[in-house]
Amino acid sequence: MVKEASEMGSTNSSSKAWHVVYKIIKIWNVMIIEAVPDVHHNTKTLFLLQKKSDVYSVEDLWDKRSRKTDIGDEEEKYKDLKGNKKKKAEDLKKEVELDDHKLSASELEEKYGTSVNKGLSSARAAEILARDGPNSLTPPKATPEIVKFLKQMVGGFSILLWIGAVFSWISFGIQLAQGAESPFDNLYLGVVLALVVILTGIFAYYQEAKSTNIMASFSKMIPQQALVIRDAEKKELPADQLVVGDIVEIKGGDRIPADIRLIFTQGCKVDNSSLTGESEPQSRSCDFTHENPLETRNIAFYSTTCVEGTATGIVINTGDRTVIGRIASLTSGVGNEKTPIAIEIEHFVYLVAGVAISIGVLFFIISVSMRYKILDSIIFLIGIIVANVPEGLLATVTVSLSLTAKRMAKKNCLVKNLEAVETLGSTSIICSDKTGTLTQNRMTVAHLWFDNQIYSADTSEDQTTQPFDQSSPSWTALSKIVTLCNRAEFRPGQENLPIMKRVVVGDASETALLKFAEVILGDVMSIRARNRKVAEIPFNSTNKFQLSIHETDDPNDKRFLLVMKGAPERILERCSTIMINGKEEPLDSEKAEAFQTAYMELGGLGERVLGFCHLYLPEDEFPDTYPFDTDSMNFPTSNLCFVGLLSMIDPPRSTVPDAVSKCRSAGIKVIMVTGDHPITAKAIAKSVGIISATSETVEDIAKRLNIPVEQVNRREATAAVVNGMELKDMSLQQLDEILCNHSEIVFARTSPQQKLIIVEGCQRQGAVVAVTGDGVNDSPALKKADIGIAMGIAGSDAAKNAADMVLLDDNFASIVTGVEEGRLIFDNLKKTIAYTLTKNIAELCPFLIYIIASIPMPIGTITILFIDLGTDIIPSVALAYEKAESDIMNRRPRNKRKDRLVNEQLAVYSYLQIGIMQSVGAFITYFTVYAEQGFLPSTLLGVRVDWENNAINDFEDSYGQQWTKYQRMYLQWTGYTAFFVSITIQQVADLIIRKTRRNSIFQQGLFRNKVIWVGIFSQIGIALILTYGLGHVTALNFTPLRFQYWFVAVPFAILIWVYDEVRKLFIRRYPGSWWDKNMYY
Amino acid sequence: MLRTGERFSNQNVFGFYMCCVAVLQVRVQYWPSQDIAVELNSSNQRKDHQEAHSGQQTSQFAESSTFIKILLFYVIFYGCLAGIFIGTIQVMLLTVSEFEPKYQDRVAPPGLTQIPQVQKTEISFSASDPKSFEPYVKNLEKFLKDYSADQQTESIVFQDCGDIPTDYKERGPYNDAQGQKKVCKFKREWLENCSGINDPTFGYKDGKPCILVKLNRIIGFKPKAPVNESLPPEVMAKYNPYLIPVHCAAKREEDADKIGTVEYYGMGGYAGFALQYYPYYGKLLQPRYLQPLVAVQFTNLTYDMEVRVECRAYGQNIQYSDKDRFQGRFDIKFDIKSS
Repeated sequence: MVKEASEMGSTNSSSKAWHVVYKIIKIWNVMIIEAVPDVHHNTKTLFLLQKKSDVYSVEDLWDKRSRKTDIGDEEEKYKDLKGNKKKKAEDLKKEVELDDHKLSASELEEKYGTSVNKGLSSARAAEILARDGPNSLTPPKATPEIVKFLKQMVGGFSILLWIGAVFSWISFGIQLAQGAESPFDNLYLGVVLALVVILTGIFAYYQEAKSTNIMASFSKMIPQQALVIRDAEKKELPADQLVVGDIVEIKGGDRIPADIRLIFTQGCKVDNSSLTGESEPQSRSCDFTHENPLETRNIAFYSTTCVEGTATGIVINTGDRTVIGRIASLTSGVGNEKTPIAIEIEHFVYLVAGVAISIGVLFFIISVSMRYKILDSIIFLIGIIVANVPEGLLATVTVSLSLTAKRMAKKNCLVKNLEAVETLGSTSIICSDKTGTLTQNRMTVAHLWFDNQIYSADTSEDQTTQPFDQSSPSWTALSKIVTLCNRAEFRPGQENLPIMKRVVVGDASETALLKFAEVILGDVMSIRARNRKVAEIPFNSTNKFQLSIHETDDPNDKRFLLVMKGAPERILERCSTIMINGKEEPLDSEKAEAFQTAYMELGGLGERVLGFCHLYLPEDEFPDTYPFDTDSMNFPTSNLCFVGLLSMIDPPRSTVPDAVSKCRSAGIKVIMVTGDHPITAKAIAKSVGIISATSETVEDIAKRLNIPVEQVNRREATAAVVNGMELKDMSLQQLDEILCNHSEIVFARTSPQQKLIIVEGCQRQGAVVAVTGDGVNDSPALKKADIGIAMGIAGSDAAKNAADMVLLDDNFASIVTGVEEGRLIFDNLKKTIAYTLTKNIAELCPFLIYIIASIPMPIGTITILFIDLGTDIIPSVALAYEKAESDIMNRRPRNKRKDRLVNEQLAVYSYLQIGIMQSVGAFITYFTVYAEQGFLPSTLLGVRVDWENNAINDFEDSYGQQWTKYQRMYLQWTGYTAFFVSITIQQVADLIIRKTRRNSIFQQGLFRNKVIWVGIFSQIGIALILTYGLGHVTALNFTPLRFQYWFVAVPFAILIWVYDEVRKLFIRRYPGSWWDKNMYY
Repeated sequence: MLRTGERFSNQNVFGFYMCCVAVLQVRVQYWPSQDIAVELNSSNQRKDHQEAHSGQQTSQFAESSTFIKILLFYVIFYGCLAGIFIGTIQVMLLTVSEFEPKYQDRVAPPGLTQIPQVQKTEISFSASDPKSFEPYVKNLEKFLKDYSADQQTESIVFQDCGDIPTDYKERGPYNDAQGQKKVCKFKREWLENCSGINDPTFGYKDGKPCILVKLNRIIGFKPKAPVNESLPPEVMAKYNPYLIPVHCAAKREEDADKIGTVEYYGMGGYAGFALQYYPYYGKLLQPRYLQPLVAVQFTNLTYDMEVRVECRAYGQNIQYSDKDRFQGRFDIKFDIKSS
């Protein structure tokens, strides 16, 4: 690989001349788009301009050529980083060795045992198909459904609950063996616990499957057909039946069905944007033009599209061995990062499990040392575990996330992986692709220059008029040229569509001009019909201009009008006059200078500039019947009248600048990573605000101070434009330095591997990285990113597969929505968890006090499950609907190491403050119920053994009355119910206080979130049903409860509310104080 | 009464503290280790960690003062909570009468229980082996201690209520305005063979075990004598309008012939509870209340097999329940071994 690289290097230095030749062939692209030199080369003269552009394009080509070598090199780095990726590195090395483009057609026929005219025989094709496999990409290995399901069964708290269930069954077994009276309680408890685990597991699995299914629809593609020559016949075959050596024919609009070496082409252009990120269609021919298979013109790549023309070629690679296939396998080699929310939930599960196990074991030891029977101690342990584990919480989290996912889907963010919902909220860096994400991915007229003045055109997506001053006669002339000197046409039958959405037959810039003219002038086709075309010279690479001659629509004017457009400097060469305010004036050096300045300026904006000129042919020399001959050019093509310039760009989407500034204010760094050229990239970056108006790159500073680039203090530059070539030579440290020191970065001309490296670099900074992209070349980075965002319309399937989220409208602004929703759900999950954890203490304390003080059991295990999975579920989901407390888009993204979902403050406040308050309230109810039935609190202490003794049926209460066992049990269940009701009542208060973390509830509005009220009513409703409806079902341990006991805990509920309001008040009053630090979660 | 409540509350608050301290300890043990784990996660974070560490050292004083503040906060916080808890319990106790419970819906209708009290309600012994029935005898002896004549001498407390069943003895309102209430005497001799006076083994050494049957005490509960139709013929024979009769029979039909004769001893020879012992005025007003007893002796039980006997008390307001097997009745197994 290294050898290959050095060989490439030497080729480069020695073949500068060859590149100049190549440049001429590539004239359209190079001259017009790229001829604009780096802005710091302040070229003044035409000659110098061209000279410079040579240099530039050489650099540019080297850059492109070297890209393939990059793959090897970067792959090596990647290998160093990750180890054991050797196989993949070798795969990519093979790609470099591809040499089919150098071979002639006959050599190819020999190599693949095929014939250009007859194709393969069906038998031979079947043989090869059996050897190579079908021509399709191996889908990434999916986790088997059963494994996914089992993962849900053992993930999170499930293990703890399984332990609880197993213990229950063990103690059931022991009790059964000992012949105890009611061993079945434990059997049931075990079954219930197992059911809880299985049901929540099924639920989580279902939720996940549902969100995955949405995506499955994406990958279902209409089976592609290919036109193949086999057995000397043309056949339509499914594309996956193609084999190496097949002769295929493609035409405009087709997707290339495999990697193809072209042997015959006619005006063929392919759109390589998904592979290289170039938004410009690349022309294809049969000629070997470049050493690099990616650069040479005679290879068309799998999954790219043929834009226009036709071609015939030999299939040289199929399926996973195609270039795209290799990138795809690189993608699947990139490990999926754990989502931040998954890390947070894991952290939370560890925390709760830690508390549960510690308390469980602690009290197991205590109860054993208090001479409880081991069996009893085990039952206590189960109780403690069940009380401590928020059984319903993970399901609640899933529901909350999927609610958010649904909400985001409505806003055109489709979330593939539920957890990714939150990831956007934590995102601190967005690496955005340019083409199609930030830009509209279509050429549009952006600026005009006539009458010595630059006019801006509207480049928004839905333009219907153009605002610039159209009164000048020069504009009339210019518009005529734009309209007439244009071969593009609308496809018929689109009259009802907005102009911008109509499909056009023609190349990108002609399309742009046609639409531009249609918007301003109306029906272009009828204008053309009125100005009949009598002769035309289409654009070709030697002329570098396009020319046509028309009759005029003025019946009094019998002159012919000659119109011409092309590369500005070439057009200017042919002009002797220039039109100023409708008057032809001689083109002196001053006017040429003005032209030059305008040209430079527009070029500096990264725009493709076209020059326009015309000439009215004198009527006496060219009468009506004059035979125009385009071959002999029997008409003047010089001394024309220069009319103006039009510049075009793939303009940013109109929503992007606002979205970028919103990201900025949300503390998110937006980095542009594109395969496109630095100038274009920088221009777009500037126009969307990725590089802000005031910031400068090192080069800008050098230009301003007029000093060499090397002398500039790099720290002064806030912005940086990094070329893929520079990036290739950088060490990881240098990259880190760039990422650290510059707040505004554009990476241009980057390869897929470099995108990956950039993402990794950002992740090394501790950032949560979002990557947006649409092309196959983005897919490894999409996969590597913490959250990959693919474009739904423009995105390739590879990108969509690798991504976690799909923007259905391809709109970057949707990301901002995503960020907002992500941050909101993080905040709201905090609230949900705080809410849920609180009552765990109120469930746990009874057990602990039961063990220590030997009072009758205050709350049963089954009852706890009814709280966790019954009354509390809907309220905790309701918190997901809570509105943001403050402008969440104005704060920095959370620090993933410091701002945990469940932090110390949250746990302590929930467990040790609100939780204890709840326990006190619930115990008051418990003691009230017992006291009013005859057991004063003092009597209850230490009674556990006799209380639970089945043989004692004359148990004495505080008044001397005697109770049978069943009467006591019934009272105990009443106690459970009372405790349950108290917790429920206080959870209502808990729910209300959790609506906010800092603001007063009254600031937030009690009634703004209606779902909270649904939650409260459901909570009380379920409690009523359990108490009065199911109060007679013995197995559930609920009994009807006197109505007044519902109100015993109300003062405590109010106390909780008041206390929390006071807490929030102090937090707001004394920010940064000790209180704020310890009480704000 | 109030004082005991207070004492209780203090103990319970102690319980709360235990619980809180436990949670706190867990927290203290848990968090730091978490932090370390998080910090060790990535070597990239080492720099941050070191910075944080040095920061920690310089602000150690601030940290310890923070800790003291937190401690102080929790002392005050839990102090207040404990105060609220104790206060609320006290207020609640104020609303509860000392003399009678607010509600009795869970304790009534009364349970029927037997002495000796046995696990799994099984009386199993061998007449020839005194060791095997010693626990039962002791249990009976202990229970009957309060019923001895010498325990019922104080005339301030005890009242002779006659030898035959009569109507309820109302003793005024349920408060101590008139001091303690008197209680009816219950003569141990009434229990005859099962009184333990003549036979200290209560018939066990002869294989003729005695059990004592009593109705659970419920304050203010006035059992109503049964209506005639519902009674078994044996009970009907000895019907008395002021008596809650007790009758024991085989639990299962097929055991009917294995039970043999059953002797009942009670007040005035009646197999039941006389109504003048009711209503009960509670522990505070009748601390030495003697609940009426019926002794049941099984004189001819079949040996060497389990015999299930069910005893019932009969009354209009005495009910039976499938769920509560001790409500108004109980069943007991006898297994007398011949050797």
